[in-house]
Amino acid sequence: MQTFLKALVAAAVFFSSTAYADDTCFEAKDASRIAIAGGSITEVIYFLGEESRIIATDRTSNFPEEATKFPSVGYVRSLSAEGILSLKPSLVLGEDDMGPEEIVTQLAATSVDIRKLSEAHTTQGVLTKIRCIGSILGVESKAEARISEQLESDLNELQVIAATQRSDKPRVALLLMFAEGSPIIAGHDTSGDGVLAMAGAANAFAAVEGWKPVSLEAMVKANPDHLIITARGFGAAGGLDGLKENPALRLTKAVTENHIHVIDGMALLGFGPRTLSTAVSISESLSVPE
Amino acid sequence: MNSEATRATVSSSFEVRRHLNPGIAALAVFLALVCTIAMSSGAVPLSVFDVMTGSATELETTIFNEIRSPRVLLAGFVGAALALAGAVLQGLFRNPLADPGLIGVSSGGALGAIAMIVLGAALNLPDWLSPYALPLAAIAGALAVTLFLYSFASYYGQFNIVTVLLVGIAINALATVGIGAFQYLSDDAQLRTLVFWMMGSFGRANWTTVLPSVVLISTGILILLRQAKNLDRMQLGEKEAFHLGVDVRLAKRTIILVSAAIVGAGVALSGIVAFVGLVVPHLIRLMLGAQHTVVLAGSALLGAALMILADLIARMIVAPAELPVSLVTSAIGAPFFLWLITRSKLR
Repeated sequence: MQTFLKALVAAAVFFSSTAYADDTCFEAKDASRIAIAGGSITEVIYFLGEESRIIATDRTSNFPEEATKFPSVGYVRSLSAEGILSLKPSLVLGEDDMGPEEIVTQLAATSVDIRKLSEAHTTQGVLTKIRCIGSILGVESKAEARISEQLESDLNELQVIAATQRSDKPRVALLLMFAEGSPIIAGHDTSGDGVLAMAGAANAFAAVEGWKPVSLEAMVKANPDHLIITARGFGAAGGLDGLKENPALRLTKAVTENHIHVIDGMALLGFGPRTLSTAVSISESLSVPE
Repeated sequence: MNSEATRATVSSSFEVRRHLNPGIAALAVFLALVCTIAMSSGAVPLSVFDVMTGSATELETTIFNEIRSPRVLLAGFVGAALALAGAVLQGLFRNPLADPGLIGVSSGGALGAIAMIVLGAALNLPDWLSPYALPLAAIAGALAVTLFLYSFASYYGQFNIVTVLLVGIAINALATVGIGAFQYLSDDAQLRTLVFWMMGSFGRANWTTVLPSVVLISTGILILLRQAKNLDRMQLGEKEAFHLGVDVRLAKRTIILVSAAIVGAGVALSGIVAFVGLVVPHLIRLMLGAQHTVVLAGSALLGAALMILADLIARMIVAPAELPVSLVTSAIGAPFFLWLITRSKLR
């Protein structure tokens, strides 16, 4: 089963990279009216100061707050071709999970310029995304300037973290949501795993693949030192009291010693510019002496 | 089948109606009207007249030809298929609650389709086959469930309402387990695709997959419409129908296989759309009576019209985004279902 899944993933990576990545990041003929499917792209365009070009965003575009005032094209994975076209965009920018695939095909069949940005859950992945969007919008030099102005200290910190080979990396569980009471955690090959690696933490559930619900026993066995939880998951758990009463979590070291870090989901997992500073602050809060 | 319906069936089952039923004619006009409205409305305002005369812009023509037309066509045919399958299954099981969704045929189709979504890449299908792999898998799933239901429920002799429904619930649960297993196997992106796929949408329609389904579903519709007389006679009981000259085994097989095929073909392209198969045949019986010639043709026409309308609501109400179409059909269908139950209790 493992080999089979790996073959599946390899096939998916092969097709997505050949189809989209190489021929995505060139300047658009007309980037004056942009419809966006994916919150990190919205963040990047605000980061570049080019928000006047945005005409529509999707439901994952919740930062900055004012980005939510645009007409919504719905959820990034359930777009409507005609709905998007009705806004007369000159350019559609989507994250690599933009879909359904058939809708993307329908859009591509029209004269609208549509770009699907590739995603890598690393520091470099964030920079690539910013540079790619900069190129598409024809503002490469502005993108470089903003990166060195606003991200340099974060990038330096992340470089130091990456260079430091700690033998006693804190073991962290990253919790997204609850499904019928079971916490859903980030295994390997997830955005959550990527941000933990950036912050110099060890994923307590590195053995699990993808986002998976974990049982009480698995959680107790993994016994993470720290718990990172999305704001949405924290609310769903019923706050701090809820976490302390959750049967799967209350016995872990993270909860008994109060090592709980609540972070906005898109800042944590969106892999826009904010994810860099989030990774830095996670790293700082993990290394606070006991 | 309630007593009123049975009486209507008995009194009219031997009449041969060669002339066009006025109710059916009215439904056909209604369908044509709905089609026209649906083709000329959408998030992008465009004039059908402009498209026909070639004075529309290239974008408008593309939207009309490649996005809106296959979508309306698919919605119509899936609606017709679900409603007609509901009508023949209700007739066959002599059970007013039979519906491709309630008795698990739809989830069987969904299970087949989801298995193909998750495992299909490993099969290395040839290019010419891959657009049709999903519909074929859904048809196989729907068929397997229908055959299982049929053999299991008839094991107790007569089709008992409670048995059929309980077996249906069990099959739904089993299919849900299978779907859950595939959800567990799928990665994050596949998972979110599956979730939205299950809620039903006609937005994915394109000519490559819509045309074969339309051919399959229309063939199925023609075959099922010819079973109307047999279904009328089978309302009296299978033995009685046999003595009236019905080849009961052949009729049963035809109805089960063909209705599974058209439901599977529909589910494969649109995901699960609830309540149409259950509610539409009831509406037709209330409006036009219980004779199957009328019920079957009427269900197909009204199913098509209502599905196109539901899809129109789904794509207009939150434009430029859109709702899953099953939300619309369930929001209308579920209260109607409750009304049916209270109404039968009051009698």
